[in-house]
Amino acid sequence: MNLEAFQNRVLPVKNKLFRFALRFLGNEDEAKDVVQEVLIRVWNGRDNMNEVQNWEAWCMRITKNLSLDRIRSLSRRQTLPIEIGFDVHQHDLTPHENTEQNESMQRISKLIAMLPEKQRQIIHLRDIEGYSYNEICEILELDMNQVKVNLFRARTAVREQLTKINAYGL
Amino acid sequence: MDSNRMEELLQKYWNCETSLDEETQLRAYFQRADVPEHLKETANLFRYFEQQKNTSIQDIALDGVIVPGQHRNKTRKLVYNSLRIAAGVAVLVVAGWFLRHETKTENTAEVIVDTYDDPKLAFEETKKALRMISDGFEEAEEQAKKLNLFNEAQQDVKPKTR
Repeated sequence: MNLEAFQNRVLPVKNKLFRFALRFLGNEDEAKDVVQEVLIRVWNGRDNMNEVQNWEAWCMRITKNLSLDRIRSLSRRQTLPIEIGFDVHQHDLTPHENTEQNESMQRISKLIAMLPEKQRQIIHLRDIEGYSYNEICEILELDMNQVKVNLFRARTAVREQLTKINAYGL
Repeated sequence: MDSNRMEELLQKYWNCETSLDEETQLRAYFQRADVPEHLKETANLFRYFEQQKNTSIQDIALDGVIVPGQHRNKTRKLVYNSLRIAAGVAVLVVAGWFLRHETKTENTAEVIVDTYDDPKLAFEETKKALRMISDGFEEAEEQAKKLNLFNEAQQDVKPKTR
């Protein structure tokens, strides 16, 4: 793979990698570091890229592994409650936007952050990034059954929470 | 998409039976403003998904870090490359000039110039030179003999231990 292929094929996925790492880490700087490391690894290993069938899934898998490594080293360094780490910023908000909807987005963001890790990853890959089940299997190194079960649990949990919010305005 | 079809899709979505295409339809549907009241939070969920897609790295410098100099555009690349070639050619030209210069001077140095035309005269001159060396040696020998005197004296004075 040459520089041009790298620019055209790998660099455009960097935002996907970033979002995925951010979903794991909940911290933009850490996620940026992970993305940078992934891209450097891809660039350094570009000669072996021809053997990789689905390089996008491959990049995502490296992102997952590096993020998990980082979570492990972070949890050794500090023990913050997960909610603090998951203060996800929303870049595109303008003062004109509806505050109520804004709050609702924050609630949903927290709600997804509270899901168990596997469910959180799967719902992210499916509903935000729009990957097929096969690709999710490849990225997370899980079998189809596990992916489907976890997605079902994640959506059910989200649905229950949403119903609660709708019913009691919580 | 009418609301019945949408409710049906939504039910399929919660059961994880929707295809990617149907999920895209759902997301598109919930971007609309006129969503039924009881689905307001569900709409927000899908809007959240859509909104998250726009999260991107807010760091332009990152690309430069990954592959140094990849922002260099084509014209700059061309100028850079031609400069490289020009530098190479310049080095070759200068090296060639020096080499020619060097061989020229070497050729002139290699020519042996005779100092005398007459062999007899040359022989006399050589003899003269050799005699000068011989005289020098003779003189040195005399001096060395004087020094030797000291050496011998030292040998005599030294107590014979063995």
